[in-house]
Amino acid sequence: MRWQLLALAAGVAGLGVSIYLTVVHYTSIPLACPATALINCEQVLSSPFGVIAGSAIPTSATGIVWFAVSALFAAGRLAGRGELARVQLAWSSLGLLTVLFLVYIEIVLLGAICIWCTTAHVLVLLIFLISLTNGKGNRVTV
Amino acid sequence: MRKPVSVTPPWVAPVAVVAAVALLVAAFLVIRWYTTPVAPPPLTVDATQQVVSSITSLAPSELDAVGTGSANNLIKKVSGSPLSGPNGQPEVFYMGAEYCPYCGAERWPMIIALSRFGTFSGLKTTSSSSTDIYPNTPTFTFHGATYASQYVDFVSVETLDRNQNPLESPTSAEQALAHQYDTAGSIPFVDFGNRYAFDGAMYLPDVLAGMSWQAVADSLTQPSSPQAKAILGSANLITAAICKLTTDQPATVCSSSTIQSIEKTLG
Repeated sequence: MRWQLLALAAGVAGLGVSIYLTVVHYTSIPLACPATALINCEQVLSSPFGVIAGSAIPTSATGIVWFAVSALFAAGRLAGRGELARVQLAWSSLGLLTVLFLVYIEIVLLGAICIWCTTAHVLVLLIFLISLTNGKGNRVTV
Repeated sequence: MRKPVSVTPPWVAPVAVVAAVALLVAAFLVIRWYTTPVAPPPLTVDATQQVVSSITSLAPSELDAVGTGSANNLIKKVSGSPLSGPNGQPEVFYMGAEYCPYCGAERWPMIIALSRFGTFSGLKTTSSSSTDIYPNTPTFTFHGATYASQYVDFVSVETLDRNQNPLESPTSAEQALAHQYDTAGSIPFVDFGNRYAFDGAMYLPDVLAGMSWQAVADSLTQPSSPQAKAILGSANLITAAICKLTTDQPATVCSSSTIQSIEKTLG
């Protein structure tokens, strides 16, 4: 249960990060992020990958949806809904695959890391790990 | 009675996932390392002169055709005691560094704009840091260059070279100026006689990625090219700010409808 509590906290934290990046995208609020040789949020967020292809919607908006659903799954597990384990694992797997693609874009294509994005990526990984170890089926019985 | 026959230790799966993710990130870093372009050697004096001559002799009609192009107007009105240069003319002050890709991007329009009011000599080609973002952005350096004009004085400080070694130090007055109008300490910082100022680049340096100096110069003769829209658009914005300082002198530059129209937006 305490792991699902951690997943819930990670979901809420990720939701906060995603909302912050989305608000920054739509307003003139300055982005709190250092600019160094490797870390440069502006370069990442203002790149063509900063928005969903073919739209003006920031990529962080998908983060809002993903983390909100993840938090709901964790809350459901906390409420004793064990049947959510598989769908939570599937959902977090989808999140992890997306994160790996985004990290590829940051490092290989853009050569810059956005620390806010990285924070969200670490939270996705954490939720995935909790889903993986806290789901059913670790133990094989005969 | 059913009994467990095999139990996977609970730490195996998460450790395997974390290791796999770490390996993948390391692979991405290696790919990036191998695909980062090597800095091209600076051009010879003659070749540099050809490029400078090409970008400073663009037809005014071409600059007018671009307007502000894709440039982001960063110029803000500031209030302070009028800033005069060493020759008593209104001063355009620049502070940047050779390693900085944003400075590298901004030098192109600065050279084009200032060359409409005077003449540079001693400009040399260089490129931004190979290890910073937008690596090896082709550009020039103001270090060692001189500028002569009957309308404005140009003072530049390139604080660090492309390897981030100290190059030039601002005077205490120049440092105070930068602190006053550029509180975040961003570079490049440009002050137009304490009447207008901006920091940062008016376009992203990736427009110049992988290009040679000559290729950039050639692209400026095509007003519809992304480079012309970015560089000439920025040059027109800078030109308009300088025209404000020189009370629209020379008329051959400042009376163009494009510059007049931009001047109105500067306030």
